[in-house]
Amino acid sequence: MAWLLGATAGAFTLASGAALVRPIARLSPALSTAGGIAAALFGVALLAGGGPLDARADALFLGFSALDVHFDGLSGVFLLALGISATAASLSIAGTRARSSLEAAAFPAFLLSMVLVLGAANGFAFLFAWELMALLSALLVTGLRPSRAVVSAGYLYVAMTHVATAAILVAFAVLIAATGGQLDFAAWQAAAPSMPAATRDVVFLLALVGFGTKAGALPLHAWLPRAHPVAPSHVSAVMSGVMIKIGIYGLIRIVIDVMGGGPDWWGLTILVVGALSAVLGVLYALMQHDLKRLLAFHSIENIGIILLGIGSALILAAHGATALAALALTAALFHSVNHAVFKTLLFLGAGAVLHATRLRDLNRLGGLGRAMPVTALSFGIGAAAISGLPPLNGFASEWLTFQGLLGTAGTGAVPPLFQFAAAATIGALALTAALAVACFVKATGITFLGLPRSTEAAAAGETRRPAQAAMALLAAACVVLGLGAGVVTDALMTVSQVVIGVVPAQPVDLAAVVSLPRSGPAATYAALAGGSLLLVAVAGLVLLVGRARLRTRRVDTWTCGIAPQPAFQYTATSFAKPIRLFFRRVLLPERQVDVEYHPGTRFPVSIRYRSEITLVLEDRLFRRGHELSIRLAQVARRLQNGAIQLYLAYTVVAVLILLLFAR
Amino acid sequence: MSTTVVTTLVLVVLQLATFLLFAPLLAATIRRTKARLQSRRGAALVQPYRDLAKWWGKAPLVGGPAGRVARLAPAVVLAALVTASLLIPFAAVRPPLNGWGDLFVVVGLLALARFALALAALDAGSAFGGMGASRDMAISSLAEPGLVLALAGAALAAGSSNLATISAFGSQQGLGLLGPAHLLAAAAFGIILVAETGHQPVDNPDTHLELTMVHEGMLLEASGRSLATLVFGSELKLVLLAALFAAAFLPFGAATEIAPGPLLVGTIVGLGKLLLVGQILALLDASVAKMRILALPDLIGAASLLALAGLGMQLLLTP
Repeated sequence: MAWLLGATAGAFTLASGAALVRPIARLSPALSTAGGIAAALFGVALLAGGGPLDARADALFLGFSALDVHFDGLSGVFLLALGISATAASLSIAGTRARSSLEAAAFPAFLLSMVLVLGAANGFAFLFAWELMALLSALLVTGLRPSRAVVSAGYLYVAMTHVATAAILVAFAVLIAATGGQLDFAAWQAAAPSMPAATRDVVFLLALVGFGTKAGALPLHAWLPRAHPVAPSHVSAVMSGVMIKIGIYGLIRIVIDVMGGGPDWWGLTILVVGALSAVLGVLYALMQHDLKRLLAFHSIENIGIILLGIGSALILAAHGATALAALALTAALFHSVNHAVFKTLLFLGAGAVLHATRLRDLNRLGGLGRAMPVTALSFGIGAAAISGLPPLNGFASEWLTFQGLLGTAGTGAVPPLFQFAAAATIGALALTAALAVACFVKATGITFLGLPRSTEAAAAGETRRPAQAAMALLAAACVVLGLGAGVVTDALMTVSQVVIGVVPAQPVDLAAVVSLPRSGPAATYAALAGGSLLLVAVAGLVLLVGRARLRTRRVDTWTCGIAPQPAFQYTATSFAKPIRLFFRRVLLPERQVDVEYHPGTRFPVSIRYRSEITLVLEDRLFRRGHELSIRLAQVARRLQNGAIQLYLAYTVVAVLILLLFAR
Repeated sequence: MSTTVVTTLVLVVLQLATFLLFAPLLAATIRRTKARLQSRRGAALVQPYRDLAKWWGKAPLVGGPAGRVARLAPAVVLAALVTASLLIPFAAVRPPLNGWGDLFVVVGLLALARFALALAALDAGSAFGGMGASRDMAISSLAEPGLVLALAGAALAAGSSNLATISAFGSQQGLGLLGPAHLLAAAAFGIILVAETGHQPVDNPDTHLELTMVHEGMLLEASGRSLATLVFGSELKLVLLAALFAAAFLPFGAATEIAPGPLLVGTIVGLGKLLLVGQILALLDASVAKMRILALPDLIGAASLLALAGLGMQLLLTP
């Protein structure tokens, strides 16, 4: 197994190096694809019971700490997600020329930094890899010569990612202090149960802020919908598919694995954050007509769904229902992997559309399905998967999430208020799922079906072969992970039982089996059997319905007797209108209609319609935070007047203080 | 073949035959009652069958840019609904495909049917398709939480989200089932049933007035076998939701053991329940005006709140 880690790290390093050497720069994507495959295989090996892989460095890095690594099953889950996403994203850029060689080199390095985060065995190694990941991703978002809009998105991203780093740094500092200077996760884990409750609570809250920001959970999501649309598509694919999931990994690693869970209000907090992220994420997504921004908001929604699993796991574990807690955590892990697959697919699809039309605005797309059949079919499968439709993978993990919530609501040991919260969250998840269906009917239908709404859309052609292959691969993964959900959940269940600490670990023999503790036989979803039945029924009916004996005639679409025009079709904006109005108290829509008339008549020359929603959290909460931070920065500037002597003096004072107090 | 496989096969065939043959008749009885309430004679009860047969034999017309999606979607819609119908207990307290999927799988399959239908509606590039799809998506977004919460209430009471468990629990409780939690959840499901099957006051199933269509708007460009499949699908969906309602909230009369006698009784009682639900819908159609679409959140949102109140009651009253 060590050779798989070596292959992963080697391939990514070579890919990064190759990108800098002009004659072999074209090899970089291929090498990085190989690295992705190795990472996925490494993840599978860890999941298949290959046992943890440890590597201890004897030398101290920077004279400070060893960069120890420890890959276990939990790392394996996220390595698998990373591997699949990295493989497809790297494949999709095969044969293209990067904007700059430095950016091309940064991409595999960014992938490698995420592998390192997943393997870090101590606080220092974790933060080192984490910061590397943050900086490289920031470089990839803005590029080397960014435009003004990109700079603004990039700054916000850099600022917020450092808020996250700061919170994690302080959380680690608290843990280091509580363990008398230990840096190892293992040492923290051993000491965690005996720490004072207040210390544990502080660590939890800081970890939630830090990892939640990286994951894009509400209300710390503001960077996400801005950064993703400006990044190149293969970068947004990996950032949205994997990097935000590294935040989820951190949360599980620190809060559940290292701290061993906590009081039930920890779980409730995560449940509330998850429900808010899920519902508001999908509502905001529905209101977007920029395809990549829409997908970015969907990432917030899916992070919310993952958090529902983590939250219910924490509540259940706090009240001793560890078997069910492991199930709820399995839901979160499974959804993390699934989201990595279909979100990478959808972003690559958006990239293909962007490549073919130079457009991201849904209201100018349409009819691309005929020109881009592979993209359209793959995107459609990804859309169905993210909407949680059987028999695809998104449904399987949402089903498990529902079971985790229902289990929380039905466990007598859980206090009634928490039971009710879990029950209400079932409603929130159902609302999220239904709105996601609406949103992806919009995204798929307006982009690929009907008539083209612009000349660019009418002139589009299918995307490049490697990108097609990448999307087809991911679409196949959606089907395989959906039908094979039983096998996958078995493997993930073993991991979550270890993380939750179910002793002894119970082997799970049936596909996905859930039994509420009160009574009754288990609730089941026979993914393979049910899914196959569904597919057979579809195939049979296609034969039956599609094979009419009579000749098919093509006629004009009915438009009340006038010749059909693209402008008659519903647009993305009009498609979402009923939902915009239904949820107007949350979305606070504003619209502006400007009509210009022929002079002296009531015949309009032109009508301009503009409709916008208010992102309450960003427009109200963040403006305050922004103003406050500007004011603080002005105060801080007095300390920072540019004189090098003064800075050296600060250093001397800092060393003095350390000598006085820390020695 | 082992006996369980034979039993499953027999139950599958029985339930498919009952549902598929009965679905158009249920639609016919609703239309008949509605006509009588409006002092008309109404069409014969075999009319829906005649319509389906007529469309099945007609040459399909394909509108403008419509392509593969419009051609294949009807099959996906009907396949999802047929699969779902095998997961719902009807004649017996256990569904034909016992253990293949629980209430969340049924809800997921309904969502799949909706997804495919809405995409098909957008394929021809018609304004009415977009209008219907957009409205249908909005309405079912509101309806789905109510549907899931109502069923989750029944699942909490029974201790499992398996419909067989829920149904068996209900029929074993007898009249003791009719507690406040149960009634609130049943009321919520009732509202959702109206909304999801497109009856008044949410949608008018008989309208072809362009500006008010929801479900019909999505079918406007369909013809020939596609139209027959989609219309039959919507008739089947009504049977399916009514059977789901009966299984979760009125499971009386369903066979608790698999034997010819009880199954026959269960089928007859089950059909009776479906007809009853149909008559209530007909009464609503004839007596209630269609609501403004913007007022729908008040009605359908109320279903979610009712169901949530039911869940609260359930937690409150459980020892």
